Amino acid sequence: MVVSDSQCSDTWTILRVRGPLELKCQLDSTDVPLMHKVISRTFGTLQSLVKSEACVLTVCDSPVIIWPNRGVHATPDEITPNTLCEDLQQWIQTDEQESTGKRSARKKSKKSSSVFTFVIQSIINLRLMMEATTTGPLPPPILTRTIKKSHFFSTTLPMDCVIRTNCNDTIKDACERLVEALSHQLCEMEKVILQHMKGMTLLVPEPLHFLLPEPKGLVTVVYPAGVPDSQLETQRRDLHQRFELLDDWPYFRRANAYHFPNEPYRDGYLRNPHLVLTHPTLDNGKVYLVQGIYSYHHYMQDHMDDNGWGCAYRSLQTICSWFEQQGYTERHVPTHKEIQQALVDVGDKQKSFVGSRQWIGSIEVQAVLNQLLEVTSKIMFVSQGSELASKGRELANHFLTEGTPVMIGGGVLAHTILGVAWSETTGQIRYLILDPHYTGAEDLQVITDKGWCGWKGPDFWDQTAYYNLCLPQRPKTI
Amino acid sequence: MGRGYIVEDAVEGYLSKLCEQQPGPVTGLLIGQSSTQRDFVIMATRTPQREESMAAAGSSVDKEWVTEHARQVSRMLPGGLSVLGVFIITDTDAKDTLTTLRQLVFAVENLISLEHLWVPADDDVTDCVTLHVNPKTRKTICRTFDVKDPKSMAKPADWKYQSGVCSSWSMMSCCLNVDMLVPLPTRAGPENMDTSLNEGLKVWAHHIQSGACLIDGKKLPEDTELTGGQKRNVRQTYTAQLLVTPDDLRSPDVVQQCGGSVSVRGVIHSRAYIHSNKPKARLAEKLLKRDVVSTVATRVQMLLEELQVSEEESNGSRKHKQQTEQFCLPRRIFCPVKVSGPVCVCDYQFSDEGQSEVTERLKEMLDIDAAEEDLDTRQETPSEIIKEDVAAEPTVETHEALEPKRNNYVGVAMATAAALLATAASMLYLNDV
Repeated sequence: MVVSDSQCSDTWTILRVRGPLELKCQLDSTDVPLMHKVISRTFGTLQSLVKSEACVLTVCDSPVIIWPNRGVHATPDEITPNTLCEDLQQWIQTDEQESTGKRSARKKSKKSSSVFTFVIQSIINLRLMMEATTTGPLPPPILTRTIKKSHFFSTTLPMDCVIRTNCNDTIKDACERLVEALSHQLCEMEKVILQHMKGMTLLVPEPLHFLLPEPKGLVTVVYPAGVPDSQLETQRRDLHQRFELLDDWPYFRRANAYHFPNEPYRDGYLRNPHLVLTHPTLDNGKVYLVQGIYSYHHYMQDHMDDNGWGCAYRSLQTICSWFEQQGYTERHVPTHKEIQQALVDVGDKQKSFVGSRQWIGSIEVQAVLNQLLEVTSKIMFVSQGSELASKGRELANHFLTEGTPVMIGGGVLAHTILGVAWSETTGQIRYLILDPHYTGAEDLQVITDKGWCGWKGPDFWDQTAYYNLCLPQRPKTI
Repeated sequence: MGRGYIVEDAVEGYLSKLCEQQPGPVTGLLIGQSSTQRDFVIMATRTPQREESMAAAGSSVDKEWVTEHARQVSRMLPGGLSVLGVFIITDTDAKDTLTTLRQLVFAVENLISLEHLWVPADDDVTDCVTLHVNPKTRKTICRTFDVKDPKSMAKPADWKYQSGVCSSWSMMSCCLNVDMLVPLPTRAGPENMDTSLNEGLKVWAHHIQSGACLIDGKKLPEDTELTGGQKRNVRQTYTAQLLVTPDDLRSPDVVQQCGGSVSVRGVIHSRAYIHSNKPKARLAEKLLKRDVVSTVATRVQMLLEELQVSEEESNGSRKHKQQTEQFCLPRRIFCPVKVSGPVCVCDYQFSDEGQSEVTERLKEMLDIDAAEEDLDTRQETPSEIIKEDVAAEPTVETHEALEPKRNNYVGVAMATAAALLATAASMLYLNDV
């Protein structure tokens, strides 16, 4: 069900090929083995197609076209089978306006203890197409008409294969592996269709890529569309076993599918803005960061003017987004009203609370996480801000074991802590802060340049005020 | 500021000959290629005589017949060639003639565009030309109408004769694999194959239109000027490659009930002729793709028409006991317009027809005197039924390769087709301004 790529190198080029393949056949019998035979035969035709000379890979946003099964013939002429994969980059026309995207791709994040450090050096997208033209002369087409009451199975298979190439790989090597990957994926898709066939109901197979800890890298899994994660637990368990992964992180939930850097998110929120920052280096210090993906929630988003009172709500939204994106919940990030309603529901607030502009604190954040997401949280209390400097170990441990964003409230402000840089020997400490008080647009450059997401020192905190921290605990499930 | 038509010398001679031939109005079609700057007319063909003389010869213009002729001729024109307009040779008053011509040109264009499976492009020329020749004075009046605008008024246009208009035109061609499979609806019998096939053809045509086109192995930017055709009498040919991909969208109904299926599988030869006045890659791609779509659609249509006729004749006595039947689409044969020129027209030959039927049709429809040796039959080989493929189908009980018996008298076939279209044609006139 899975293809893994275990090459390891400092600079890789990811080649991703996508394209629809039509699957059509007439099922003229309801006898299951016969139906299987027809479907398998149709898959056989697709297998031959992918290995035939008609199979074409076009490099997106470029004039490059490759025929992988025709001696790796390519156009333009300068490209030969021995061209290096990474050299294909020069042919791709990049969009000028994606400067922020390019910038983040170039900045290398320093090695940290987070297992999810992964920077794609470059990704080349390819499109799978078929050449319809051929050599003639040949006889004209034949029309075949079959009349029989039966069923017609018609769908498009969303092929999506990924391979990782190193600096020495030529396109000839890559093509062999890509065709192999496509062929293998067709096999997997056939299995999924046949496995999940119930009478005349057939499900469409859907490939998803998952990022596993190094050296395993990107792994592709074919899931049946429409079957929720809750019903696929056995499959996930198998995968965890196969890849020798602990059962404490939902690596293979759909929500955790790897999101490629060049793909925009439909909801418009920024994801993980901290990734473009350069992390501080402290003597004997290490950086401990949030694991996984969150989206940045702040003042004035969603046409909600909460300027001056909504900071804790926004921090809570950031935390909820983390649980949604790691697949722990299917519940969308709650609105201010929904947060307030949750507090009324648990009896913490009166009905009049809903629709008001009252502040909330860490205790309320803990209550809402429990009520809406069934997530428990620990509360950490410091009687004055200066004490936060001594909480390095606890925070480091939190990011190591739980990896969730932390909400901190005190004085008159609420913030989100995304990580710490801490030195055990010198006691130096820095906090990676995501500030919900930002009122501007989703501009990564502004947000990072102006420090709305940035590293702060211990003097960032009000030294005399008391602070409560809400540390959400990650459910230990897959 | 009107359009300018550059017309092949031979057309002048042809029209002159028609002037001398018979009394009464002579109508016909003008064939060529339009571009944004200039229009080229490379041949003309008179409306053939109708077998049953429903209209007294020479008295009035038979509009339905003219449009039906145009529809048939349109099927015989490869990419790049189309019916540009209508001519009439008559000494009737210019104003009345113009009204007649206007009606004809709108009806012709509307009927022909019904058969088009492609989406019109923004840069398509929508003007059609009308030519009124006075047989006594040989004076010609040339006007154009914008057929996209029902209220369009006549605009004057230039009509200029020149020799060797298409002598340096280039040709782009390819052989293309067709592989279509469509379900048949549960309720109906074989007669609903038409609708299902047309639906399938539309989807397939969309894939072709949105596919990538390589010219001589390269993907050229749209505005690249195609060289070649600069030197006179140097024939430039290009080979095209089409890369296609199905749509990404998936319908939620993965499995549906059906009454069977129809497939069209095989290879066709497609070509398009491109004028030599600084043509762009975009034009060549557009013309070729349209030819790909129309040659398949035309052949399927012709086969369906034949099947309908043969089923009517057998009066349904042959009940469809056979589950699977195979039919050959007709084979494409080319014939040069002029012995020396590069431009060819084409015809479709069913497997039970000889070359004489082809030459007869070329004479009847396009008024071309071709000998059998002039025909280019090398682009597609004769049809054959491959028995192995049919035997591999587990559901087939018996199979029969049916070769529809094509009527040799084109007139009769045309009458049948015209009868079917009579309703459509008359509706067009009802809408005419």
